Amino acid sequence: MPHVVKSTIVDAPTERVWDVLRDFNGHDRWHPAVASSAIERAQAADKIGCVRRFKLKDGSELREQLLALSDLEQTFSYCLLDTPIPMFNYVAHVRLLPVTDGDRTFWHWESRFTTRPADAAAITKMVAEDIYQGGFDAIRRHLKEAA
Amino acid sequence: MARVYVSTVVNARNDRVWARVRDFNGLPNWHPAIAESRIEGGEPADKIGCVRDFRLRNGDRIREKLLGLSDYDMFCTYSILESPMGVENYVATLRLTPVTDGDQTFLEWTAEFDCAPERETELVNNIGGGVFQGGFDALKRAFGG
Repeated sequence: MPHVVKSTIVDAPTERVWDVLRDFNGHDRWHPAVASSAIERAQAADKIGCVRRFKLKDGSELREQLLALSDLEQTFSYCLLDTPIPMFNYVAHVRLLPVTDGDRTFWHWESRFTTRPADAAAITKMVAEDIYQGGFDAIRRHLKEAA
Repeated sequence: MARVYVSTVVNARNDRVWARVRDFNGLPNWHPAIAESRIEGGEPADKIGCVRDFRLRNGDRIREKLLGLSDYDMFCTYSILESPMGVENYVATLRLTPVTDGDQTFLEWTAEFDCAPERETELVNNIGGGVFQGGFDALKRAFGG
């Protein structure tokens, strides 16, 4: 089962990073791969179990469900319900931890999923680089613009 | 119960940092406040339950017991058996996590303990700002940032 783990240090306090990340419907405002996003059934984006339906810039449509969200721990987890690529049982976890030495943020993003063996390497690389690392770089730009 | 949480980033891969800090008898090799250390009873320093008896540069003596050590998850948990600090039920953990973006290491050092209420702020500051941050600063110097 592919396991993707990516982490970075963001030069901002955890509250600022969490403020952006905790919005389960907000990724179209900062992630370069996401074109538009909406929560199904007009539910609140911080209601556990809510589903975000979003389009990528390449036109593909995905649905993901919020499994857990904690403002205390600054963590959330979600799973993939529908995607046009052959990824199954995808569950991802995002976790922020304070770097007290310098008031920065340690951001940990990991997931596990199943796929066809022939597709595992390419999909793992896509998730790690395009989605996670691309997200790290985008948040840094996003926070700089907001400052 | 008082809590201490201190964290930092060291500019080296986590396996290199771990090699420096995993030795439960190795504090004098990297922590500037520690003068000397030995493991009681001639036990190996990575035997869970072993006790280190060490002396600080200020002369204080502390005995600590190894409760957990994982080379896989890269953490070390220990408790204080004897110290002049006036703490009870003291348990601390030093944990390393890789920062994949740039080959750095995220270090967390946490402690929980009981103490007299009027001493809590002082102890939290001394342990977090003094002992733990002092160790982090030494590691950052050793690894160049």
